[in-house]
Amino acid sequence: MIYLDNAATTVRKPDTVAEAMVKALQGWGNSSRGVHDTSLQAARGIYSARCKAAAFFGCRRPDHVAFASNITESLNVAISGLLRPGDRAITTALEHNSVLRPLYRLQDEQRLDLAIVPADSQGCLDYKSLEEALRQETKAVICTHASNLTGNVVDLRRVSELAHKSGALLIADCAQTAGTRPVDMEDLGIDVLCFTGHKGLLGPQGTGGLCAREGLNWRPFKVGGTGVQSYSRTQPQLMPTVLEAGTLNGPGIAGLSAALDYISSVGLDKIAQRESELTQRFYSGVRDIQGVTVYGDFSRERAAVVALNIADLDSGAVADVLAEDYGIAVRAGAHCAPLMHKALGTQERGAVRFSFSWFTEDAEIDAAVLAVREIAERT
Amino acid sequence: MDEAEINYYVLFDNYTQGLALQELLQSEAILARITPTPHVLQGELSCGMALLVLPRDLEAVRACIDRHGAAIHEIVSLPCQIRPRRDRFC
Repeated sequence: MIYLDNAATTVRKPDTVAEAMVKALQGWGNSSRGVHDTSLQAARGIYSARCKAAAFFGCRRPDHVAFASNITESLNVAISGLLRPGDRAITTALEHNSVLRPLYRLQDEQRLDLAIVPADSQGCLDYKSLEEALRQETKAVICTHASNLTGNVVDLRRVSELAHKSGALLIADCAQTAGTRPVDMEDLGIDVLCFTGHKGLLGPQGTGGLCAREGLNWRPFKVGGTGVQSYSRTQPQLMPTVLEAGTLNGPGIAGLSAALDYISSVGLDKIAQRESELTQRFYSGVRDIQGVTVYGDFSRERAAVVALNIADLDSGAVADVLAEDYGIAVRAGAHCAPLMHKALGTQERGAVRFSFSWFTEDAEIDAAVLAVREIAERT
Repeated sequence: MDEAEINYYVLFDNYTQGLALQELLQSEAILARITPTPHVLQGELSCGMALLVLPRDLEAVRACIDRHGAAIHEIVSLPCQIRPRRDRFC
C-alpha cells in the first residue's frame, strides 16, 4: 500500500516512538499521583515532553503547555475555555469541524456572536474581510494555519497583527503544520497554539495539546482529579493543571516526546523542504492532465496536501479505484471542511486528497501521478 | 528543638512547578528530595509533591528560587516525626 493520507494521520513513525511508548506502558506509574519512583518516572517523562514542546513551538513557559488527547480536544479546551456568553469571535471558511462545531455550539447555546471570514475560489483567506470583521469588539480569532483540504497556508503573522490591533486573541489550529514547518508562537503572535501529535509530529494517536501565552483567564473544559489540592472544591487555576483533569496519556506522551526528539534531530527546515519537493513533484505531475482539476494556491507557501478531482467523477469512486487497482490510500469526501468545499464548489462530489510526509518516497509520488493519469484517460 | 529534627519543605501548587525547581536545584548541585506534601498541611494544598531540603541549604534554595523566578507555593518547616533508618538523604 502506498500511503498518501498523511493529513489524516502519519502511519510511518520513527522506531523510537514505539520503543518509548512500550517502555512507558510497562514502567510508568500515574504522573502527579504520589511520589514513588514509578509515578515520578511518569511525571519526569511528561515534564520533559512539556519542555520539548515549549521549545519546539516557541512557548516561553513549559508549564503553559497542556496535553490533550487530540487537537479537537485542544481546540474545544481553548474555545470553550476562553470565550464567554455573548462574546464575539471570528473564524474562517478554511476551518475544520474541530473549530466550526465548538463555535456553532457556543453560538447556539451561549449567544456567541460569530463571524466567518470567506475564502476565494482558490481557497485563500480574504484578509480584507477579516480586517472589516475585526472592527467590532472581538474576543478571539480562531484560525487554521493551513487548510486540511487545499494545503493553503494562512499568514498567521498578518492575522495576529490584525487581531491584536483590535484587542482580540489568536487561537491557531496547527493540525497540518506542527512538525512539518517551523511554527513559533512568539514569532507568529499566536496566543493559543493547538497541535496534534499524530500527524506531522510523527507521534502516536491519542496525543495533542496546546501552548498558551501567560495571563489568560481559563474556564476549564473538564474538571476532576489532579493529584494536587484535593480538598479544594474547584479545579486548581494554575497552568497546566487547570486544563489537565484526569490521568494523562503517559505512553502516548512518551511517544510524542520521542517524536519531538526525532524531528529536532532531522531538522524542521529539512522536513519542510522535503515535503515541499514532494508536493511540487506531485502537483507538476497532475496539473496538466486533461480532466484533472487541482484546488488551492500553488504560488505561495503551502502544506504537503493536494486536493483534486478527475472530470466529473465522484471523489469516493476515484479513491476506491486508487485503493483497489493501484494500492494507493488517499482521502475522499468532505474532509470535515464543509465551508472550504462550499468555497471551492465541490460540495456535491467532494475531492480526492493526496497528502505526503517526511517518509514519502519519490517513487510513491510517481506511482500516484501515473494512477491519476490512467484514471483520467479511462474517463 | 535541634535543627536536625526539623524538616524543610518547599511546597508547590502542582507537580510541574516542583519538577522545574528540582531541575534548577540539581543544576546548582543543591540536594532536594521529592517527598509527598505533608498531610498536616491539608486544606491548604493537600496531596502533590514537595521538595525536602537540608537546613544548611535553605538560603541557597531561596537564592536559587529568586534568581530564576521559580514558582513555588511556600517553604515551610515541620518537626521531623520519624527518623528513617537510613543514612542517606537523596
